[in-house]
Amino acid sequence: MAEMKASSAVPLSTLADVNDLGKPWRWEEDGMTVTRTAPWSPPGCHPVACGLKLYTDKDGKLVKVEGDENQPITQGRLCVRCLTLKDYIYNPSRIIHPMKRAREDRGNPDAWEQCTWEEALDIIEENYKRITEEYGRESIVCFAGTGREGGTLAAWGSAALCTPNFCYSQSGYACYCPRLAASAYTLGCPYPEIDYAGGLAGRYDDPAFEVPEVLMIWGKDPLASNPDGFFGHAVVDMMRRGTRLIVVDPRATWLATHADIHVRLRPGTDAAFGMAMINTIIEEDLYDHDFVEYWCYGFEALAERVKDMPAEKAADIIGVPAETIKAAARMYAAGTPSALQWGLAFDQKANGMQCGHCAIALMSITGNVDVPGGQVLPPANSGLNEAGFLMKKGLGAELMAKTIGLKEYPAYVNTILNSHADLTLRAMETGDPYPIKMGFYAGNNLMSCTSAEPRRWHDAIVNNLDFCFTLETFMTPSAQASCEVFLPLSTAAEEDGVDFTHYGGTPVGTGFMNKALQVGECKTDMEACMAVGKRLNPSVWDEYDDVYDFIDHLRLKKRNKFKDVHEEVFVQTGVEYYKNEIGKLRSDGQPGFNTPTGRIELYSTIFEQFGDDPLPYYLEPQYSPKSTPELLKDYPLVLTTGARTYAFFHSENRQIPYCRELNPDPLIEINPETARAYGISNGQWVEVWNQFGSAKLKAKISQIVDENTVHAQHGWWFPEESGNEPDPYGTFRSNINNLVPNFHFGKLGFGAPFKCLLCNIKPLKESYDTDMKRVWEMFKREDQ
Amino acid sequence: MEERYGLLIDFEYCTGCQSCEVACKEEHGYPVGQWGIRVHEDGPWEIADGVFNFSKIPAPTDLCDLCAARTEKGREPSCVHHCLANVMKYGKVGDLAQELNKKGKQVLFVPQYLPLQAKGAFESKGKENRRHTFLTTEVSENAAFETATHGDTHLDIGMNEE
Repeated sequence: MAEMKASSAVPLSTLADVNDLGKPWRWEEDGMTVTRTAPWSPPGCHPVACGLKLYTDKDGKLVKVEGDENQPITQGRLCVRCLTLKDYIYNPSRIIHPMKRAREDRGNPDAWEQCTWEEALDIIEENYKRITEEYGRESIVCFAGTGREGGTLAAWGSAALCTPNFCYSQSGYACYCPRLAASAYTLGCPYPEIDYAGGLAGRYDDPAFEVPEVLMIWGKDPLASNPDGFFGHAVVDMMRRGTRLIVVDPRATWLATHADIHVRLRPGTDAAFGMAMINTIIEEDLYDHDFVEYWCYGFEALAERVKDMPAEKAADIIGVPAETIKAAARMYAAGTPSALQWGLAFDQKANGMQCGHCAIALMSITGNVDVPGGQVLPPANSGLNEAGFLMKKGLGAELMAKTIGLKEYPAYVNTILNSHADLTLRAMETGDPYPIKMGFYAGNNLMSCTSAEPRRWHDAIVNNLDFCFTLETFMTPSAQASCEVFLPLSTAAEEDGVDFTHYGGTPVGTGFMNKALQVGECKTDMEACMAVGKRLNPSVWDEYDDVYDFIDHLRLKKRNKFKDVHEEVFVQTGVEYYKNEIGKLRSDGQPGFNTPTGRIELYSTIFEQFGDDPLPYYLEPQYSPKSTPELLKDYPLVLTTGARTYAFFHSENRQIPYCRELNPDPLIEINPETARAYGISNGQWVEVWNQFGSAKLKAKISQIVDENTVHAQHGWWFPEESGNEPDPYGTFRSNINNLVPNFHFGKLGFGAPFKCLLCNIKPLKESYDTDMKRVWEMFKREDQ
Repeated sequence: MEERYGLLIDFEYCTGCQSCEVACKEEHGYPVGQWGIRVHEDGPWEIADGVFNFSKIPAPTDLCDLCAARTEKGREPSCVHHCLANVMKYGKVGDLAQELNKKGKQVLFVPQYLPLQAKGAFESKGKENRRHTFLTTEVSENAAFETATHGDTHLDIGMNEE
């Protein structure tokens, strides 16, 4: 059995002498039971496993939520989405019993009827049998969402519904996986996170750790997003310990304005910047010769290629002076160590994989890979454990070969074991390569959030799929428009389970979720997956008697049992550096990296094998001032979308009054000069449109964007409005994805231009301001 | 004199996450539209050549009681406990003033819960000290009475100004 033991957390200097450090996983206090837990979701989030203390009364009702100072990463700190957990759990609009309605009642909120789990499962089974007998199991799609436990629970596809078409429904899988794939191909491991001493017991003061001298944050705002399980404010912790920043971002974010160098590039031009960085570092001989000689493959070819992109040429493309690019290159190369955090912006363009290749090359040629305070790599025996789980047993080779897009985009489909999003949309619309007839939303609200051209996805699903169901906490526009069965989902406070920071791809820690209460008839993601799976495909589940067997296998690889280790609440992984030198990055135990050449591939043999260029190259965004100057008369502004907010996780939390109050309306950021030219006042509603669609948002006039760029929030819908068609909860009114096209991915099938399009804007006379009094009256708790 | 308590805020590193605002509302049950602390945003506005001022400054309101129910048990206020950037510190004003002296871009707040009420209900204390003595003074009729004491124009009191 693997050792799993929590170490005591380093207390924050601001913690009072009276505190709960050293308390067990559960204790009694003032007539209440206090349960410590390290949640994943819901409420929606990535697996950060923040520490929570849940206070329940004798009736099992949640009384209070507090941050757990025993969690070594978060140390008691919490964001607004868990601070309001009680308002989420006891929200009057939360759905806590299964519901059903007839197919002809899609889009009618009044047609839902409460039913039992048995009845709901009967309906799912009946439709499953009918549809799969006629069209095969490949006619089912699991629409997967992002970040939440349900959205990544691939067993829904492989083992419950036994369909190969588990589909993250964002065009070009424009989130995390392009970065993951670029990293897997060239570095031989998942996304290499920056080292923030997360896995070390002494944290920042641990003798094994070095605080990075330089942190370059590129296309990412980690503070609000807690990306992929990274506790965003670890960046601030390190800034206060001396880390200096380079921030590469079109927006003057809080981090950017606190950086020594802010590279305020034009959206979508990141690969040009990356190539110019590499070129400067090589040309000025700032690279780590030993690391390059011993551990990298293809340096000369890379050096030759980036000569195509000197800083002067990149300056013209990205709109930043060459001297700023060179200064960034010098500062990044000088940092000992330097860390590089690269974000979602990489994925949201067709050219993102080349940009990812540049990032891997930068951290490699400067010798910052698997060193303290640089990039921390997972050992060979860890990593993402979800993809492929039970796939052979549940699908078999014949069905796996039918995954939509496997032939066209094997680098996408085979690497992440997903059906290709855009080709899945086409399959729904045209029946090519085969008809799609049934859908399940796994932690997904695609009509409000994930999907480009959401109306098109809506029509494809509503018109062509015979049966849809979801597992959710709240009604969503997507479920309202298309589902026949609604299954109620537990929050993390109602769950026994396991989560890994960074999905297990970085050695930081394992969190245990300890169930503190039960609400209605809700089931956890894993309980519901198993209940549906046992009903539809019982033979796949024969080795599991209860959900703990499933948890122990999927999450703990049978090395531990949940019931033996959950009382530890959060266990740090421990970190070993320089693993490439001692054979711990490869399953054959040899020194080097887990790539075909055994070295970090600056010249990528895998890109080459997939038919792409083995070296980084630059492509302009498909619609931009440089690639389509003829469009500028109609669409003169660059549109970037989707910056994270503290108040919301994507399309969630709009019905949580204290969250909504922080950001009541969908905002579009406009520079004061632009606003003056277009006659727009601060707080005025505007229409933003381009050749693909339009949306209405509220202007926030701010120098956070430059005069050529506007930035729009994503994921908006209005739970206080009517759920009826044609615009359930107003989601199509303010959905910025109306302006984002499908089928604009790169050569290997990855990427979509969510962050680099063109648009126009105009002021509106009317106002759509949210009435917070109405939100409060509709959604406050009974006891408020 | 009883020593006061305050909140020391290192706003050089306040990121504006608003955890303090929401932690406070949950702790005190303040409804939508009321706060015990608010984060004020100053920027981003450009100073020069890409250098921006962008500060987030949490300021306690008239509803901040410094979490009396928590601090009397020896715990820190909820905003301090949950602050993501860990930039808030609770303590005696004298101690915090020492901290304040150690670095710049900090601010020390000494909140006052409902300051108007803290003054107590209005009560006049002047009754024993009247200025007038009410002696037997004769007041005659005012034969010189007129409405405009400065002639026939209202200019002097600004009424005709554009």
